[in-house]
Amino acid sequence: MKKIINTVINGKEYELALEQNRTLLEVLREELGFTETKKGCDQGECGACTVLLDGKPVSSCLVLGVNIEGKKVMTIEALATDGRLHPLQEAFINQGAIQCGFCTPGMLLVANALLNNNPHPTQVEIKEAIAGNICRCTGYVKIIEAIETVAQETKTC
Amino acid sequence: MHLPKFDYLEPETIRETCQLLKTYQGESMIIAGGSDLIVAMKQRLKTPKYLIGLKKVASLQGIAEENGELIIGPLTTLQDLVDSATVQEKMPLLVQAAREVGSPLIRSIATIGGNLCLDNRCRYYNQSEFWRKANQQCIKAGGRKCLITNKTDRCNATFSSDLAPALIAMEAKVTLNTPESERIISLADFYTADSTKPNQASGGGMFLSKIRIPLPTQSLRGIYHKHRKRQSIDFPIVGLAGTMEFAGGVCQKAQLVLTGVGSGPIIANTAVNKLLGQRLTSELINDCALAAATGIRPYKTDLTTPSYKRKIVQLLVAETIKVLGGISE
Amino acid sequence: MKEYRVVGKGLPRIDGPEKATGKALFTVDVFLPGMLYGRILRSPYGMARIKNIDTNKALSLPGVKAIITGRDVSDVRYAFVDTPRYPADEQPLAVDKVRYIGDEVAAVVAVSEAIAEEALSLIQVEYEILPAVYTPEEAMKPGAPLIHEEHREGVSAWEEWGVAQKSSADQNNEINIPNVSSRSTVSFGNVEQGFLEADYVREDRFETAATAHCAMEPHAAVASYDPYSGKLDLWLSTMGIFLKRYVLSKALQLPISKVRVRHSYCGGAFGGKIDVFPYEFCAAYLSMKLGKPVKFELDREEVFTTTRQRHPIVINIKTGVKKDGTIVAQDIKVIADNGGYRGSGAVVVFLCHGFSFPIYTVPHYRYEGLAVYTNNPIRGPQRGHGAPQIRFAIDSQLDQISRDLGLDPIKVLLKNVRHQGDILPNGDRLNSCGLTAGIEGAAKAVQWQEKRIQFAGACDSHIKRGVGISLCAMFSGAMYYPFASAAMVKLHDDGSATLFTGAQEIGQGCYTTLAQVLAEELGIEYDDVRVVGGDTELCPIDLGSFLSGGAMITGNAVKLAAADAKAQLFSVAAEILGVQPSTLSCSNKQIFVIKDPSKTVSYAAAIQGSIYRRNGNPIIGIGSYKGNPETDRYPSLAKAKGLFTSAYGFATQAAEVEVDTLTGEVTLVKAVTFHDCGFALNKTIVEGQVQACMSMGQGQALSEEIVLEKGQVLNPSFLNYRLPISLDTPEVIDKLVETLEPNGPFGAKEVGEGAVAGMLAAVANAICDATGVRIHEMPIRAEKLLAALEEKEKAKKSS
Repeated sequence: MKKIINTVINGKEYELALEQNRTLLEVLREELGFTETKKGCDQGECGACTVLLDGKPVSSCLVLGVNIEGKKVMTIEALATDGRLHPLQEAFINQGAIQCGFCTPGMLLVANALLNNNPHPTQVEIKEAIAGNICRCTGYVKIIEAIETVAQETKTC
Repeated sequence: MHLPKFDYLEPETIRETCQLLKTYQGESMIIAGGSDLIVAMKQRLKTPKYLIGLKKVASLQGIAEENGELIIGPLTTLQDLVDSATVQEKMPLLVQAAREVGSPLIRSIATIGGNLCLDNRCRYYNQSEFWRKANQQCIKAGGRKCLITNKTDRCNATFSSDLAPALIAMEAKVTLNTPESERIISLADFYTADSTKPNQASGGGMFLSKIRIPLPTQSLRGIYHKHRKRQSIDFPIVGLAGTMEFAGGVCQKAQLVLTGVGSGPIIANTAVNKLLGQRLTSELINDCALAAATGIRPYKTDLTTPSYKRKIVQLLVAETIKVLGGISE
Repeated sequence: MKEYRVVGKGLPRIDGPEKATGKALFTVDVFLPGMLYGRILRSPYGMARIKNIDTNKALSLPGVKAIITGRDVSDVRYAFVDTPRYPADEQPLAVDKVRYIGDEVAAVVAVSEAIAEEALSLIQVEYEILPAVYTPEEAMKPGAPLIHEEHREGVSAWEEWGVAQKSSADQNNEINIPNVSSRSTVSFGNVEQGFLEADYVREDRFETAATAHCAMEPHAAVASYDPYSGKLDLWLSTMGIFLKRYVLSKALQLPISKVRVRHSYCGGAFGGKIDVFPYEFCAAYLSMKLGKPVKFELDREEVFTTTRQRHPIVINIKTGVKKDGTIVAQDIKVIADNGGYRGSGAVVVFLCHGFSFPIYTVPHYRYEGLAVYTNNPIRGPQRGHGAPQIRFAIDSQLDQISRDLGLDPIKVLLKNVRHQGDILPNGDRLNSCGLTAGIEGAAKAVQWQEKRIQFAGACDSHIKRGVGISLCAMFSGAMYYPFASAAMVKLHDDGSATLFTGAQEIGQGCYTTLAQVLAEELGIEYDDVRVVGGDTELCPIDLGSFLSGGAMITGNAVKLAAADAKAQLFSVAAEILGVQPSTLSCSNKQIFVIKDPSKTVSYAAAIQGSIYRRNGNPIIGIGSYKGNPETDRYPSLAKAKGLFTSAYGFATQAAEVEVDTLTGEVTLVKAVTFHDCGFALNKTIVEGQVQACMSMGQGQALSEEIVLEKGQVLNPSFLNYRLPISLDTPEVIDKLVETLEPNGPFGAKEVGEGAVAGMLAAVANAICDATGVRIHEMPIRAEKLLAALEEKEKAKKSS
């Protein structure tokens, strides 16, 4: 039997009728067509499906759709605002932190959550923050550097 | 991987929870954060008809200091534990252990209650339905024999919680609720050493409603070491929580609790007893480490051999005692 | 080093904004109206005969639309290697026999993936379990069960491509051992004589494990067949759209003109997405059957177990040297575990030779490679494809030889290494070779001299440190269908351009680098270029992103297409200005007379002029480039005769490690690569590719392995397959040795595949440097290292 769930996704209110066994990842990709959140392993081991749930980075493949009632979900779609890329997105693009792009949405959201909580992280703190997001294309070096750049830039202003 | 069908029930009080447990006895499971159970359900290891979600029960949340104890609701996420100023100040050992669980993404979802109730793990068990059909169903999955030992006597899946050793070392107690009762027991007694049902709540019909930890004295030192291949995502190969208290260089209190090496948390009693009332010498430390290592019977349930696990235990115990005793290399 | 206007610069990726905002469409993101979902039923046995399949119950499950089994498609065969000697041995669904756990038995399509999954459990298969073999050793024993009892007769794909001919002379490479699926043999000089002349001879055995690609996007395919036009559209997460189109059109008996692979971004491949897979065939076949779009998406366990893995290889190597370390003779025998089907086994045993001989001069050499069928998962190409395995063996042994003789390993490398101008025994010419410069650079970057002195002194701590070095090489494109790349450049009114390239973006940044090549050659800005890629209908043929030919082959095609367009512009401008084209130059989209720059025609005016003066020609530049221009023949895989590649990329790699001698755990502290890629078309992209190669090399040296037990993968998940995470990242130094390959566009050649291979021996050698212990296996497991250290201690104490 379906449940009615009220939630806010990327700033917009939704009333959804959900089968109880749907995960948030399935709701986003299959019910709502938001393909920007990716399925890498479906078991909470790779971070490709990361979204922010009330500001906290979670693996959406482990969250039940029925548990987003009254919560705010943010996907990568909401990171750029008013037609402008977020500084993290700019840094990722400019510094080569994106290759195939599949891990990128999750990685950017985790980085965003990190900088919201800790605007000037050390390199170790950056590595720890993204330690649940797997990337096979970059070897992590340029991802870490891009996040460092943004952390530094916000220091100087 | 799709979840099987279930009805998701959301009680708002402990009483309601108990009522649901009674009504759906034998067909229901408690779900907290879900980071363990959701995966198990996707693998069809667990297929309850009813999931009793505890997120709406307000009394299961929160961290409070009361009468010399820290009272923690089981639905407190590991990230909230790590972020809590109270826990950071009063119980840094708990923060240390919580920080070691999984990855940052897991810690946003996983709960302290869920980690204490983490099911035991084995490479023949924690696999998809197809995988297990292509192999054999082991005892834990409802089959006849353990695929590690090839014997039918017992399941040897490994206890894997990181928080349990830390909390046991701090003499934590838990409140257990069934439809009929509510009682408080030591966390150590919560565990059964039966890998098919590793804790008293495993059989269903029971849940943790409170975790109480006596506030450690100023002089109690604690540390949690987790040995794993990668410093995130991975479960422990071996985890060791140690607490010690000294007065005038003599050990007054000691606790050494292991995870990842048996069917339950293992308290290194022989080693602990050797320490009490003694000054630390390298001979004593080595004796304790050896005793702890020889006192365990690990199985190759992940990809690590028992002999290697014993070596790591020996190293970690020695290291832990040295650190807590303030001895440098 | 010449500075160019556009190429060479680390310009931001052309697909950056799409990927950073999540708008980039991957195959898994393709959802079409009315789309159905497929799942595959797989064999739970390593080897079994299929007696009967009953699909009735499954078919009557509401929502199930079709089920097919091997009987429905029994005539279809294809494979990565399909030659007269090695005929295709794969079928989309097993007809009579299954040969590994996971082998495809039936395919179901339903209105949802969950229903398709449920239907699988309702299909009844009667199997007769057969004895299986799980190691090449077992498989090659006399009387071992035969995994493939006979091979099909018929015309192979390679014969159709005109690059292989049946020849009775070639049959002489047959070998009468059970389950040997392919054999390569090469020799030159007289190896026995060579060993007699050597002052010192060493024999060693090395062994490497199967590893996984771990591309983040799971394997997937979407097929959409329109029964009215007879046209099939495909979205495939792939590395080679033309190969897939060819094989699938043949398998489906559709004319090539009716099959279109449409563009979608590929979320990582690393070699694992070039074979044609059953789920792709089934998606297309079922879409044709039902007239509806069909999607198959593999789950992560299926990706680990039923796509491809890197070949585990046993290498026996005997090397003879003079007392100064000069190599005199080398005898190499490799045995690769194919798995249940040939996969790329015939290629990998050719490549173990192919990546052994471009590095050192070896006057007397003998090589034999066997690929052997076992009832394990299928092995195929994976970043390096034989190079990591063979380089691990050769450079571990050479390092050991250096130590045995009391020589500095760096000096021994420098003594033996090849140079620019060398002609390899097969005829390949090294028109560029940056090995010497790479060795010198890497040694400095890892502080070879200082660290060896410093670490040697640090005896007391249980943490030991060491440094190690290794070399590797990689083809820059090779002869494989479609054998060439072509490019089209379409100019727009304002002088901007669209590049049409069949190249497939798999993360390596080809759209970006090709746009830079185009902009540079055509004299326009990077921002003036748009790229249409990865579509077999819109784009001309491309070699594909699996032969490391992106820079050299496709890059050259694009450069030539741009040059063609520019020549047309100049021709029209010359006519307008009344001068010869040779008197013109260009800047800022203006063409001007060199001796009188006031005489100028804009690109826009030249294009307009072309339309008026050249009968409507809007200026379309066309270029093409073939791998190995001098030959029309693929090198013989069995005899390794013929040219392999026009240019080799080279990498010198070094590692500094920290070994905890109490736990056996190794930390990679510093990773160094000096990569000779000829010329870096985009510095940032090249760095990123090399860094990722180093990370994969690190993982495969220290923690990655597919653990198998009786043909079953014990760790088919990111939890238990331990590829590196952010916390594993060492200090990374990656530098370029830009040797300017004369045949490469702006001097560019291979980068992005080679630099995995050198990490393995670099790490193994560093561990030996630190501890005196040499491990002959990949990965270097903590327990194994600890056991070896304890053995060494025991031996020391007893002596």
